[in-house]
Order: sequence, then structure tokens, then C-alpha cells
Amino acid sequence: MKGENIWRYTLLGTVISVLALFIVWQTIRIQLNPEMVDKFNAQAAAYARPAKTIYPARGMIYDRWGHLLAGNTTVYQVGIDLNRVENPHSIALTLNVVLGLDYDEVRKAASQEPSKDQVYAVVDDYVTQEKIDRLEELSREIENTYTQGRDEEPHSLEGLVFQPHLQRTYPENALASNVLGFVGRDEDGNIRGYFGVESKYSDLLAGQPQTVIMPNDPNLVEELPEIPDGASLVLTIDRDIQTAMEETVDRTLSNSGAESVTIVVVEPKTGDILAMATTPRLDLNKYWNYENIFEGSTPFNRAISQAYEPGSVYKVLTMAAGLDSKAVKPETTFVDTGVFEIGGTFIRNWNWGAWGPQDMQGCLQHSLNVCLAWIASQIGPKQFYEYMNAFGIGRPTGVEMAGEASGRLKEPGDEDWYDADLGTNSFGQGVSATPLQMAMASSAIANDGKLMAPRIVRSIISDGYQSNHDPRVVGMPISAETAHTLTEMLARSLELEASDAMVEGYRVAGKTGTAEIPTPYGYTSNATNASFVGWGPIPDPRFLVYIWLEKPTSSIWGSEVAAPVFADVVEQLVVLMNIPPDDVRNALFSQ
Amino acid sequence: MDGVRQLTQAYSQAPWRKQLQILGLFLLVVVLAALVAGIYLNVTARAATIGREILWMQSRIEDLQLENSDLETRLAMVNSAAVMEQRALAMGFQPLGRDDVTYIVVPGYVSRQQAVIAPPPKPVVVVANLPADYTESLFVWLEERALPAVQEWLEVFP
Repeated sequence: MKGENIWRYTLLGTVISVLALFIVWQTIRIQLNPEMVDKFNAQAAAYARPAKTIYPARGMIYDRWGHLLAGNTTVYQVGIDLNRVENPHSIALTLNVVLGLDYDEVRKAASQEPSKDQVYAVVDDYVTQEKIDRLEELSREIENTYTQGRDEEPHSLEGLVFQPHLQRTYPENALASNVLGFVGRDEDGNIRGYFGVESKYSDLLAGQPQTVIMPNDPNLVEELPEIPDGASLVLTIDRDIQTAMEETVDRTLSNSGAESVTIVVVEPKTGDILAMATTPRLDLNKYWNYENIFEGSTPFNRAISQAYEPGSVYKVLTMAAGLDSKAVKPETTFVDTGVFEIGGTFIRNWNWGAWGPQDMQGCLQHSLNVCLAWIASQIGPKQFYEYMNAFGIGRPTGVEMAGEASGRLKEPGDEDWYDADLGTNSFGQGVSATPLQMAMASSAIANDGKLMAPRIVRSIISDGYQSNHDPRVVGMPISAETAHTLTEMLARSLELEASDAMVEGYRVAGKTGTAEIPTPYGYTSNATNASFVGWGPIPDPRFLVYIWLEKPTSSIWGSEVAAPVFADVVEQLVVLMNIPPDDVRNALFSQ
Repeated sequence: MDGVRQLTQAYSQAPWRKQLQILGLFLLVVVLAALVAGIYLNVTARAATIGREILWMQSRIEDLQLENSDLETRLAMVNSAAVMEQRALAMGFQPLGRDDVTYIVVPGYVSRQQAVIAPPPKPVVVVANLPADYTESLFVWLEERALPAVQEWLEVFP
């Protein structure tokens, strides 16, 4: 070793020793400081084993035949990785052209210097696959075509990042929108369902998000836990019937000049809701238009959320109570003098006329308020309201949709109940119910006296298995004999009246209703609610239809605006449900 | 004998011989260490490669799940009621009226079935508990039941 090199080796050794000592000292210093230990441990864990929250795909919603009503499509979040940006101008210009974003805003975002707090900027979300394809195509073109751009910077979309995720999509757009509801973000940015089954089953459909550790070290990689998708639902809705009913609702709205039209189709034996069509409806893929379409206090689904005084369709319930309690028989005669006094109030008929001697058939056929008020007085308030409760009036049906209204049934003992209410309630005044409540109550008459729970969700598919909801009997307000008798009386009423509700070849039972609309000053409005409830084909009904026209202007009478709609609906239903005419059916069954 | 012993001793204690032994031992250690390191490196590299492949496959699974979901919804869109109606009308079909239908009896006809998207839940399997008489072996019976009975008998009647 030459003498002149010794100092060099000494210096190098000293430097290395000092560095080594510094490292040892720093190691000891960190080890002796618990706060620093925690901090570095956390940093190391965050880098080596980052946590990722996995959100399961939201469950699908199908109609009863398996047609998809609500699914998911892939959309993209568009962001900028600030560390990789080469040309903010190219990114801003491209996003301006393809996505219509503001050039200045995007350029400002892309020009940010990456910092400890920000290395990524989100510029757009819910971008469709088509637009992402276009962006990727442009990126390739720029890469292949341009070498130099403005400011002598090469054109480049480097740094533009597309993150895929799922978005709720409704293939049928506005079909059954009032039943389905929609999915949006709440004030905290969380995804949740609004209205309908999307809201009622929001947690179940969303599934259970799980946070998993995904180590960057490939030697530590673990199998990801199986995170099941959210549960899927099979509804009782029939897509074809729903489509036909919505078209009928729109046609009726246009022809009648009504403010709204609602049609509910129920299968009496099971309580299945086959269709629930109302106005207005919302294209669920553009749910942000909700506030423009449902202005003010307009309910999302009138069939379950808007209670109204149903008027004379309610008489079927009063007559059912009268017959079942033996207060009257079909042949009981009532002499209609045109007025009936009850609780100090004088009840009069719809035409203020006196109809003379009438049996119960006549009372229904001519829809006599006086007669029905008398029947209610014969039943007595206690028993009358027991029957109404048994029919489910005044309380929610429990249908599996969000936002159901309960309606109102004043009863003896309530502060605002008076003796006169018994008389007015008997013909559907002073009592409010939703179309669905009225449909379900009436379906008990069509179903041998058995009241079914309304069923909108037929099956739930969870963890790969399909569990069916069985039809549920919730009561038996009247006997089967009463139900058959009343059905026959109602069918005969339509035939004797030569009602517009009748359909050639099919025997149906039904009742019209025309109800005055209460105002803060009493029944002072000329507007009415026109309704019709009917079922068929009797004696073995496959469907029950409830129709409500709110404030029709072409005619105020249910018999003129609602009854023809019933016939129209039945003509479509018998085709869609493969129901042969009575004579054909009888001939086929007799073979 | 002394000559042989001296020769052996001289040979075994020769300096070059000792150096060769030390060098041989050192090389052996180096070769063994290199072998272990090589095997370790190979295993680690394969594990890392497979780990990366697993990560890639997990990512691919996520992509495919998104794609499946997307395709199912897009299929539903092209089969939606409105689109199907338009296509049917374009092909010359007419809406079916009540009077257009002829009903006939088709023996064995099964009407349209409601949607079955997934199988029903598995039934709960109840495992019947057979009495031990049917399952235990002769030796177990002797050990657990016959011998204790004999012992009890002997205690009572010594």
C-alpha cells in the first residue's frame, strides 16, 4: 500500500463509518420513540397491505317471467394521474370534445403539481363505454400521428385514467317505474334506493360491502374472499300486462282530461300484483328529472301513496258487511224515499231522486246512497267498523314498496267521528283509502271471502338460491257464501244496467264509483274522482282490476269514464293471460 | 512400518495439502451457499410470478364480472318490451285482438312457468343418530360396556 493512498482509504472508511453510525443512531432513535414507530408501521402497512373496499354488484330485479327490469351496466370514472401528465392541453381539449367538459377547468385540474395531498383528480363520472372507446381511440391516434404540439410539448393523453364501475340501469326505461323506484346518491354520497322496491329492499339489493387487504408483495398474496352480489328480486309484475296497462293509462289520461289515472291489476287468489300503472312516470335512467316530473307533493306512486275518498265503489264493502252480518238479504226490500236521516245529517242519492221499493240488487244497480246508509244503520256502527277493519281499510296493506299511505277510517271513539259518519262512510264518503287498499279489500269478495296480502316480490335470490314468498291469507272478513252472493249481485247489476264495463264473451262483476272531492269548505268542488272495481271471469276470477281517474273532465261520472276503461283493460287481459271466453272455457272443461 | 508412517505423516501434513483442504472446505461452503441461494431464488421467483398471476386473475375476475353484468343488461335492453314491439311491427306482425284467438286443447300442454333464476335453497339435511348398538365395534363394546358391567358385578359379588 502506497503511503499517498492511505489518507484516501482513511477518509473513505471514515465516511462509511459515519454513515453506518448515522443509520444505527437513526434506527435507535426511531425505536425509542413510540409515536414514530407507530407512524412508520402505519406507513409500511399502508404501502405493503393497502385495504380495498369491495362493493358487491347491486342485485337484479326481474318480472314474474324473468324479464330484466333493473340491472347494471359498466360506466367509467374519468380521472387524471397528475404524476403522469405530459400535456394538460391535449387532455383538456380531448375531454372537451368527447365529453363536453369545460376546457379551462380540465386544463386547470391537469396542470396541478402532484403533491403529498393530491396525486389524482376526478374530472367526470358515469361515462359510457362508447365514449371511453372513443377516448382510447383518440389516444392511439394522437400517439401515432402527432409528435409536436402547442408550446413545443408533444401531444399526449398520458395520465388520463378510466376506472370502471357499475351503474344501475333500467332496460325498460320508464316501464313500472312507480313500482321499481330508482337508485341515487344521498347527501353523504352513499348509493341508496329511492321509492318502490328499490327503497324497500335497498340494503338487501346492495349486498354487504367488505374491506379486504390486498398486499402489494406477490409473496403475500391471498385469495380474495367470495363477496356475493346483492340479492336479486323476482317481482309478481307481468311485463306485458304492465306495458298494456301503462298504454291504457296514457290513453285514458288523454281521452278523459283527468289529472291522473291509476290502474291496479291483482290476481285475487294469490294477491299477486300483476300490474300497477299510474301517472306520472319517470324514465329511471334519467332519475335526476324526478323533481321536474313530480312537482310539489305529487306522490311517486299514487296507487299506494295517495289515499282518496273512493265513493260508490266502497258500497261493495258495505253490502258485503250487510249480507255477511245478516243485517240484509239479497231480497230484502228497502223503500227509497230519496232521503235518510242519520246523526242529524240527511243522506241523499246521487241524483237527489227517490227510487221507491228496491231490493239489495237494485240498491247496488242504481248505486243508492240512501239505501246503503240504511244498511249501515242496520248493521250498527260497532259491527260496521269491525267489517271495515277486517277488510283492511284504514291501515297499510304492508305491500313491499316504500311510501305506502294508510288512508283514514274514523271510528266510534275517535274525536272527529260523529254518528253521521256511519251513513256517509257507507257509500265511500268521509273515509279515504289508496287504490291498492280498495283493490285488496275487493279482492276478498272475488276470492271466496279470503283477504290476501298484496304480493309484489315473488322471490328473493340470495347466495345463489331462490326463495319464494308464498301467498299469504291475512283474514277472512266475509264468508265464501257471502262473497259468491255479492259477486253474482254485482255481475247481474252490470248486466241489468247494460254497463259499458261488460265484455262480450266474459262474465264480470263490478261497481262504478263517483266521489265528490272534499275541500276545506266541504264538498264544494265540481270535480270528482271516478273509479271502477271489477273482477272476472266469474265464477272463477283470474284478475281484479281497480281503476281511478282523478278529476276527469270529459265526464264526471265513473259509469261513463271508468267503466269503459275496465272493459278495455279486460279485453287486453284475457288475451295476455290466455283466458278463453266463457262458452269456450265451459266447453273445454266439459270435455 | 515407521517408514510408511513417516511418509503418511509427511504427506498429510504437507503445507500444500493443508491449504488444499481449507480451500476445498471453503469452496464447498460457497457451493452449498450458492446452491441454497439458487434454490431459494428460484422458489421465490416462482412464488412471486404466481402471486402476480393471481393478482392479475383477481383483477380479470372483477373485469369479467363487470362485463357479465353489463352484457346481461344490454341483452335486456335489446329485448325490452318497446324494442320488441317495434321489431314485431316492422316485421309485419299485428297486435293480437280478443277475436283473433282460437283456443284448442293440447294434451300434455304445460303452461308458461314463472321465472326460476336460481335453484331453491338446499333442504336441511337431518342426520339420523343411529343407536350405538348399530355402529360400535365388538372391541369397543367389550371395552366400554361389557367390561365395566363385569367390574360392577364383581364389586357387588366379590
